[in-house]
Amino acid sequence: MNQTVVTYLAQYEFFDFLLKIFGQNTSLLAFLIFFLIAAVIVGIMATVGGLGTYAERKISADIQMRMGPNRVGPYGILQFLADGVKMMTKEDIMPKDADKFLFYLAPMLCLVGVFATLAVVPFSAGFTMTDLNVGVFYLIAISSLVGVGVFLGGYASNSKWSMLGGMRGASQIISYEIPVTLSILAITLLAGGMGFGTIIGRQEGLPTNWYIFHNPFAFIGFFVYFIGAMAETNRAPFDLPEAESELVSGYHTEYTGMRFGFFALAEYIEVFVVCGVAVALFLGGFNLPFHLEIDILPIQAVQFGIFFSKTLALYYVIIWARWTFPRLRVDQLMSVCWKYLTPIAIFNLIGCAVWLVVFNGHSIADLIFGSH
Amino acid sequence: MFHQILFLMSAALTLICAVAVLVTKNMMHSCIFLLGSLLGIAGLYATLGADFVAVSQIMVYVGGVVILMLFAVMLTGGKDFVSKAQNLLGLAPSMGNKWTFSIAGLVAVVFGLTSFLLINNVTKVVTIKTQNDEFVSTVNQLGHLLVKNHVLAFEISSVLLLGALVGAAIIARPKRQ
Amino acid sequence: MITLTSYLFISLVLFLVGVMVMLARKNIVAILLGIELILNAAALNFVAYSRFVTNNLDGHIFALFIILVAAAEAAVGLAIVIRFFQIKETIHIDEATQLRN
Repeated sequence: MNQTVVTYLAQYEFFDFLLKIFGQNTSLLAFLIFFLIAAVIVGIMATVGGLGTYAERKISADIQMRMGPNRVGPYGILQFLADGVKMMTKEDIMPKDADKFLFYLAPMLCLVGVFATLAVVPFSAGFTMTDLNVGVFYLIAISSLVGVGVFLGGYASNSKWSMLGGMRGASQIISYEIPVTLSILAITLLAGGMGFGTIIGRQEGLPTNWYIFHNPFAFIGFFVYFIGAMAETNRAPFDLPEAESELVSGYHTEYTGMRFGFFALAEYIEVFVVCGVAVALFLGGFNLPFHLEIDILPIQAVQFGIFFSKTLALYYVIIWARWTFPRLRVDQLMSVCWKYLTPIAIFNLIGCAVWLVVFNGHSIADLIFGSH
Repeated sequence: MFHQILFLMSAALTLICAVAVLVTKNMMHSCIFLLGSLLGIAGLYATLGADFVAVSQIMVYVGGVVILMLFAVMLTGGKDFVSKAQNLLGLAPSMGNKWTFSIAGLVAVVFGLTSFLLINNVTKVVTIKTQNDEFVSTVNQLGHLLVKNHVLAFEISSVLLLGALVGAAIIARPKRQ
Repeated sequence: MITLTSYLFISLVLFLVGVMVMLARKNIVAILLGIELILNAAALNFVAYSRFVTNNLDGHIFALFIILVAAAEAAVGLAIVIRFFQIKETIHIDEATQLRN
């Protein structure tokens, strides 16, 4: 049985009280709780995606010594709401010979692929919608819907720029899935399970227990994962599918209004999700470094805060990289993936397996300080 | 309750998209409906408690096969080709005409009736256990089965995949001038 | 009530649709789509029987191998399709007659 947010809540007394209100109808109550939590998570994530655009503009302005948006609200923080209103009220234009069905479907596929991954992202010990025992695998699998969406968006627009962008996007996403999956596989090998609960549970305590410091191979694996994830979300320096200077803006050239907004929202939320996965797999997730004797609700809030701050730190790194590095060429992109990242990832996987056998699963810190 | 709703939704998605694959005249739409049908089958696996198989299905088909199909459609022009060769059914367009569809329908009716008889017998003979709603994780057991009981098939499949990889790369390579 | 028969019925419909796609279409990629549907119908049957009848996981293993073989088949099949298109400039199956006689 998988641990879900409902089974977590069922430990506490107010669940029985709720159950009485609903006349002992467990499945209806479970459905309502799931619905509520899903609405909350989607709301939070839409806000994070919106604030992501604001952060991107503000950080880029900081790097380039400009002011950035500063008109709407204090420090311009409500800029994303203004952008949203602008997008919703814009005219919805469709190219004349576009494939109507696919043109409507493509942004939806992107958004569905990203929001479906949120079902397993571990925000805190209780506030995880469901801790599937195939969690990471599910996350990788369902997020490849984004690739299909990008490809279809490029195809359906009936425009050369979109077409090139879509082709590049699909091939890039497929290629970079391999090093990403291999480095995640190394971590599942160390943890002995694919569920986020299992993986985070093994990294409890001090930062020396984090998997990034577990052994040298996992340390390299983190960077392989991070570079691959950056490429998979089409972020600079791998933003070839939407390269402004060559392809206008790639696969979403022909999209206007809210459909364009869906693509942008999907991209920013996906960046958050891959950062969250990096935190959960390599950086200890929501674990506190020490034991804290406080009530259930405050500890959830603290764990939520820890997870969010670690993730947003990585988010900052990704935005920082975008405004620092120049864009790669297509052949360079492919050779980085196939000639460097994939062999390194395979080497890491084998290295982790050997480490697991030779040192009986102990981390470097265990070996030095001899905790066991 | 949950379980029934999930089953009904997955079954509807699977069947409607499968029929749409057959009906639509556009190759690109056909591929997308196939994607919907395969996702529905993944949902059906989930209702059967086969978590690992369901996720593998999504992983392989959504991430790999469907994108490959879309690429193949685009690299071959996506046009409606008409054969120059005269055959029994006249000049058949590549997405089929009424003759090909009626032959296919006839075959399907015959196949369907035969299989229906078979299924009838099966449901009478096999004693079907009552379904328990407790799902246990299959991942550990599957791992043990793969490297113990089915290790030969596992190794052979890796050779097959390597062969497919090299073969596909060699076959699709453009001709040297 | 969800029983084995409902899964068998879905699997049967999928199989029939796959056969019809294979027979009705003359486009090689469309025929490959039909093959995918048929393979999936078979895999669904295996998993359904594994849950309702045998109560072990051999059906799951079989479904996994079917998925694997389908992926390999799709890769090689589409490579052949692309090569065929380079030579003949069509992917109509009636044009594939070089090995006749």
